[in-house]
Amino acid sequence: MSAERRSIGAGIVTAAAFVFLFAPLVVVIVFSFQSSASLTLPLTGPSVAWYRRVFGDPDFQQALEHSAEIGAIMAVSTLVVGTSAAYGVTRSTLRIRSALASLLTAPITLPALFLGVMLVSLFNQISLRLSLVTVGLAHFVWTFPVFFLLARVALDRMDRALEEVAADLGARPLRSFWRVTWPQVRPLLVGASALSFAFSFDEFIATSFVAGPQQTVPLLVYGKIRRTIDPTINVISTVLMAMMLALWLGAFLYAISRRRLRFQPSAASGAA
Amino acid sequence: MGDGIREGNLLIRRRLGRRRSDSSGGGRRLGDRLLLALPAAAAIALLFVTPIVVFAVYSFLSGSVYGFSAHLPFTFANYRAVVSDPTIGRLATNSVIVGFAVAGVSLAIGLPTAFWLRYCAGRFQQALIFLLVLAMFAGYLVRIYAWRTILGQDGILNDALQRIGLTSHPLGFLVFSRFAIVVALVQIVLPFVVLLLFAGFRPIEPRILESAQDLGAGFLTRWRRVVLPLIAVPAGSAFMLCILIGTSDYVTPLLLGAPGQLTVGVQIQRYFQELGEYPFGAALAMLVLLCYGILYAAFGLGFRLLRLRRLEWQT
Repeated sequence: MSAERRSIGAGIVTAAAFVFLFAPLVVVIVFSFQSSASLTLPLTGPSVAWYRRVFGDPDFQQALEHSAEIGAIMAVSTLVVGTSAAYGVTRSTLRIRSALASLLTAPITLPALFLGVMLVSLFNQISLRLSLVTVGLAHFVWTFPVFFLLARVALDRMDRALEEVAADLGARPLRSFWRVTWPQVRPLLVGASALSFAFSFDEFIATSFVAGPQQTVPLLVYGKIRRTIDPTINVISTVLMAMMLALWLGAFLYAISRRRLRFQPSAASGAA
Repeated sequence: MGDGIREGNLLIRRRLGRRRSDSSGGGRRLGDRLLLALPAAAAIALLFVTPIVVFAVYSFLSGSVYGFSAHLPFTFANYRAVVSDPTIGRLATNSVIVGFAVAGVSLAIGLPTAFWLRYCAGRFQQALIFLLVLAMFAGYLVRIYAWRTILGQDGILNDALQRIGLTSHPLGFLVFSRFAIVVALVQIVLPFVVLLLFAGFRPIEPRILESAQDLGAGFLTRWRRVVLPLIAVPAGSAFMLCILIGTSDYVTPLLLGAPGQLTVGVQIQRYFQELGEYPFGAALAMLVLLCYGILYAAFGLGFRLLRLRRLEWQT
């Protein structure tokens, strides 16, 4: 109690931090609904004109399609490959399992810039033409470690006695996984898979090195930002924020509705 | 006699062993289970380990023509060229200043914030953490871009400052300056920093702080003797993360910095995307990675000398 009273200073810093974090986002959202093309005060009144322009833009539609496609592929591929890997690592007794786990999480230590330049060097060396495929490969390295970390935590913390009971009752490993393990870890893994989608959808730096002629949404936005200051950038950003909010609320509600284990969002975010 | 006993023992052990492996369903196939991680291991080896090797080799190859023609023999020329570039001094200074400024400011804001979220937020805790995660995914580019609208010559901040009467003319240093770069980068890393520190505070029970207080430790003593030593290792990781992102990000300096204020991130990006000089870029990137490694090792050594450890959270 007394500790709480003394933390008024920390409380003020926290409030300031949240204002600092969200003020730019509010600015972007407000200016996306302005009719004038200049991004200065005073405000010129509400309008959705720029939204019409963005949604009518074939470049944007194309980029959105590419980003959504890659994001969905990342969500599914990390879910399948990552869950399988995390299950293998947590259920094995071989000594190399921890070495393997470190290898699988290693890419997290490198900033995206290095991932991008290293991959483009490799693709160059093996003469792989840059395209959405190379973007997808880069995004896999980018999204996989986070998924794997979370899946490993989920599979480690769940109640393993149930798996042993299933085995004692004669369930084959696959059946035991599907009927006993999966239902317990599903909320966290689905959430982590949504995270893969989000990470892939927002990735710009590594993508800028390995992308071919096809654009993703961040590449399109960057092109616009470099050229001009334009309200359509605010519109696209607002649309993306709305999408992310929907994605997170969806994942969150799903996790709550299916909760069999205690759901710990901070455990999830701490690893991210 | 002795042989008989040994044989019996062996028999029992073998039987027990078999029973155990039978009952754990696939215990015999323990190796098989690790095989499940093989696809992932293959992918990471191919897409992460191989590129690192290729890259390290590149940094020692000659040739730097656009369209790429790195070839043998091995040479240190790239490293020499990168280091003797006349801008390298300014580049290094600027990167160090930006990196450390971002790390310092982020920790200065992040520590009290994470502290408050852990010990004082009460029932708002979950909602605020959710907001932090949300801020993290609000779009990387837009969070940089938004600062132009706020900090620009006729931006919102200048407008507000003039209206209040604090200044009579727009402040020029707000945008296209090191100040703008640091502000934008802090905004990008802050959610990560707060979450890392929050996770670090989690195993530290409130009663530890309370007993410190009961023993008569004042505010400063509590932070210096209790809080900081316990949070030092997570704070070190957060600091490192800020340095990594602050120096390698190339978008922020390009969009918000003055033309001369390049960081190593921008320079690497220029070598690869604008100049097409892969070997030079690879050499610079390897040098930067070496610096990161040295800093990381310094942190590790410091923590070991000071006997600081990370607390594990008990479920």
